[in-house]
Amino acid sequence: MSFDKSKIDKALFEKQNELQKELDRLKLKDEEFVKELQHLTLQTEYIDGKIKSLSKVIPVLKTIRNEAQELISTISDLSELSEKINEKVKPLEIARCRVDECQKRVSDLVDIELSSQGVQTAIINEDYEEGAGHVHRFLLIDQSLLQRTASEAENLSSVRKAVQTLQDAASQLRTIIKHKFDEAVHNEDLGSVERFFKIFPLLGMHEEGITKFCNYLCMKLEVTSQKNLKTALNTTVADKRFNIVYADTMTLLFEGIARIVDIHHPLIETYYGPGHLLSALSILQQECDKQTKLILLEFNKHRQLTRRLNQISEINKMSNSSSFSKLEKIDPKDLDLLIHEVTIMHSRAELYFKFVRRKVTMDIEIGYPNKEEQVQKLYKLDMVISTSDLNQTKIDLLSKYLQLEHYFMEESINKAVNMDTLEPGQNTSSMVDDTFFIIRKCIRRATATGSLDGICAVVNNACGVLENDFCGVLRNRLRQGYPTGYLDLTQAYNVLQTSLQQGRLQSGDTEQARTAFVVALNNTSVSIEYVETLCDTTLSDVGQALPNITSNEKGKLESCLSGLSSVITNLREIVEYGMQQLRVSAIKPRISPWVDAFLNINHQLTEDELSEYEAGDTFMNTLISNLNSLLFTFKESLTSSNYDVLVGVVAAEVSSRLEKVILKTTFNRLGGLILDKEIRSLAAYLTTTTSWSIRDKFARLTQIATVLNLEKVSEISDYWGNESSLTWRLTPTELRSIMSLRYLTTFKKSALIFIND
Amino acid sequence: MEDYKFLFKVVLVGNAGVGKTCLVRRFTQGLFPPGQGATIGVDFMIKTVEVDGEKVKLQIWDTAGQERFRSITQSYYRSAHALILVYDISCQPTFDCLPDWLREIEEYASSKVLRILVGNKIDREDREIPVHVGEDFASRHNMYFLETSAKEADNVEKLFMKIAEDLMQQARSKDLLRYDKDTANITGKTSVITDSNCCSRLT
Ligand SMILES: Nc1nc2c(ncn2[C@@H]2O[C@H](COP(=O)(O)OP(=O)(O)O)[C@@H](O)[C@H]2O)c(=O)[nH]1
Ligand SMILES: [Mg+2]
Repeated sequence: MSFDKSKIDKALFEKQNELQKELDRLKLKDEEFVKELQHLTLQTEYIDGKIKSLSKVIPVLKTIRNEAQELISTISDLSELSEKINEKVKPLEIARCRVDECQKRVSDLVDIELSSQGVQTAIINEDYEEGAGHVHRFLLIDQSLLQRTASEAENLSSVRKAVQTLQDAASQLRTIIKHKFDEAVHNEDLGSVERFFKIFPLLGMHEEGITKFCNYLCMKLEVTSQKNLKTALNTTVADKRFNIVYADTMTLLFEGIARIVDIHHPLIETYYGPGHLLSALSILQQECDKQTKLILLEFNKHRQLTRRLNQISEINKMSNSSSFSKLEKIDPKDLDLLIHEVTIMHSRAELYFKFVRRKVTMDIEIGYPNKEEQVQKLYKLDMVISTSDLNQTKIDLLSKYLQLEHYFMEESINKAVNMDTLEPGQNTSSMVDDTFFIIRKCIRRATATGSLDGICAVVNNACGVLENDFCGVLRNRLRQGYPTGYLDLTQAYNVLQTSLQQGRLQSGDTEQARTAFVVALNNTSVSIEYVETLCDTTLSDVGQALPNITSNEKGKLESCLSGLSSVITNLREIVEYGMQQLRVSAIKPRISPWVDAFLNINHQLTEDELSEYEAGDTFMNTLISNLNSLLFTFKESLTSSNYDVLVGVVAAEVSSRLEKVILKTTFNRLGGLILDKEIRSLAAYLTTTTSWSIRDKFARLTQIATVLNLEKVSEISDYWGNESSLTWRLTPTELRSIMSLRYLTTFKKSALIFIND
Repeated sequence: MEDYKFLFKVVLVGNAGVGKTCLVRRFTQGLFPPGQGATIGVDFMIKTVEVDGEKVKLQIWDTAGQERFRSITQSYYRSAHALILVYDISCQPTFDCLPDWLREIEEYASSKVLRILVGNKIDREDREIPVHVGEDFASRHNMYFLETSAKEADNVEKLFMKIAEDLMQQARSKDLLRYDKDTANITGKTSVITDSNCCSRLT
């Protein structure tokens, strides 16, 4: 055996260790078991207690069970009993019903006897109400039942006779009443008309009564409407309603029908019951259609609507061809009154249909409680309205209105642009106010038609005219550019001022062009505000005029109005375009030499040179004063929002130019100090000139100055790479090259290495 | 602010009765409406779809075919991004009217508008216009062509999705163009077709 003893020892030792560990583990387990046991012992007590209390309850539960069983059997006995009783009661109930029916039939028979005696007398006495009353009672009796009674009972021949009498009397009365009604109509005896109208339903002649009565009302309607139309045709130009006389005539017709409905509907409801208004109205609608047609015929003839529409479509067709200028246009002003009248006509028709729909729907809802019938009747109402001539007329009127309005809008704006003038003291010209006045007017008129589709179409057309024509004009004017050519700025400024103030241009193409440019720029930016306002006012106007539009309809309107937002986008682009023009021709050429003067100044100064510099006209004082006079040139002539944009343009231009010259300069500490000071004063100056924040435009410059103004190069670490300090607008490379402008003069390049990328 | 990136206006035109309203209903509501009346003026519906993970809002304008609504419907052409011209493959006259509709489109719509010719009702047995005739017409007039059935939901989804995809591609390339141009500008922010609704604060 060549085992090494130490090896064995080691193995033993390990084994011992393992055993020790196992022992520890078991001990721990043991402790856990003891704990658990203790816990269980504790629970035993608790459970014992529970068992004891439960066993006490057991006898009580037994009693309850017995009692419940007894209760169940009692209940089932009761239910059996009640079922038996029920069976016995049923026949009794049926018997009682039969007795009731019998009684009713006997009393009906007695009624019939009496009625048959009474009806003849009543007819002879011409007491038709009384006679019809008898017939009415007779008709209320179930006729088939009556027939059976009469045939079953042999000994009731008197009943059969009475029934016969009543049937004869009914048909006799029907003929009489029809005749009498016609006679009353013929004699224009309103009292009798109403009298017999009330008798029809008693004889079961509801439809016939309504028809006859409404035909009578139609006759009255025709007479009145013809009279109104004649009056209209005789209206002289001097009359202040001359221009809307056909709309007035139409209004009178609709009001006439509305009055008829208001007066006679209660009558119909009382004597005929609810649910008859639909028949009544479909008859009246026919007359309404007939009269509308006659009115429109005259309207067309006298207002020459068709001729004008043809002319307009001719003009529109020609506008794409070369011979356009030769064609005589219609002055939009001449259409104004016509459009107004068409609008009124349409809105009246719209109101009339609304009225009809409301009244008839209410009547249907009361008259037909059955949902299915109701839906059917409402559908019929829809058909009566949608297939009526008036509805077609209404659609035609809207179509014609839209054609007229489109031409009116385009032509009026065209005129406004051609007659553009600049009032003294204004920085926008007349075409802007005029254009938006016209558009507002057109949209208002569209709103007055009461048709959402009409409003949407006019809004769409307005977007088209603004985006194509109006924006085109503005863009064209700015395309001419802002001419320079004056070396003496004050002179240029004076000329511009006087021309603007006097509303005309005195001399020279340049001033004229400058004014035109500035005014166009102003017009554009003011237009943005106008379009925004137009959008808001249209929404609220339509909200007021059509308070019951659905959310889908509202979405429709808003989608059309969103067309105005692309007009705004367009206008914003035009302002930008104009500002670019201005920057290139008027801002950049001036600013560059002023800023470049920086290069002629020493930026490595001694203390003495510093105080000397600060005592004199510093670079920045000169620059600010130059900028001030440049901005002043525009301050009066630009709108405030344009002026703000211009200040932004100037700020951006100055700061980028300044950055360039700084990069061509070397600084010492004092040079950096001055630069920092000067840039602060420049930023402060420009900030006071505008309500906008332009600090952003100086962010880079300010940082450059800060860097150049550091005392020691190591101070940069207070700023750079320190999260909490500031957001750097400079890249590491830029920063290094800026620092080198100053520190390379005094420090080694290696000093800059801790600006890490 | 609603959650979509692109908004396109799609306008449907064509004779009355060719199934424009049914196509729109099928696409927006997934149903074939039983016997609704003819469209009055213009109907308006919205559906948001997803193209390449982007939300695209389609504003669909369903116009009435009859002449007397023309002055209403014409006003929608100008701002349309896509125009769907529909005819009924079982009704020759609706096909014969296509040149008239094209004239309307020429006159009122933007020249850049995406134009699609659709032959509807292919579920019907009584076809009068063979497929190739429709195809020919479309290719001669530089239009997309598709045959559909609103009733059987054939190609309806495809029609509108194709439009959404195409318009989005257009808008993207235009956006790039704009972006290049804008780098020279002062503010340099312009949104093209993304809806900067001036009224959105009121909705
Ligand atoms: N068989 C069949 N009928 C259709 C289809 N689309 C529409 N219709 C029917 O054509 C008629 C007119 O449809 P509509 O959508 O109102 O036409 P619109 O005037 O162009 O809007 C209705 O009776 C529809 O049921 C279709 O795909 N197949
Ligand atoms: Mg339709």
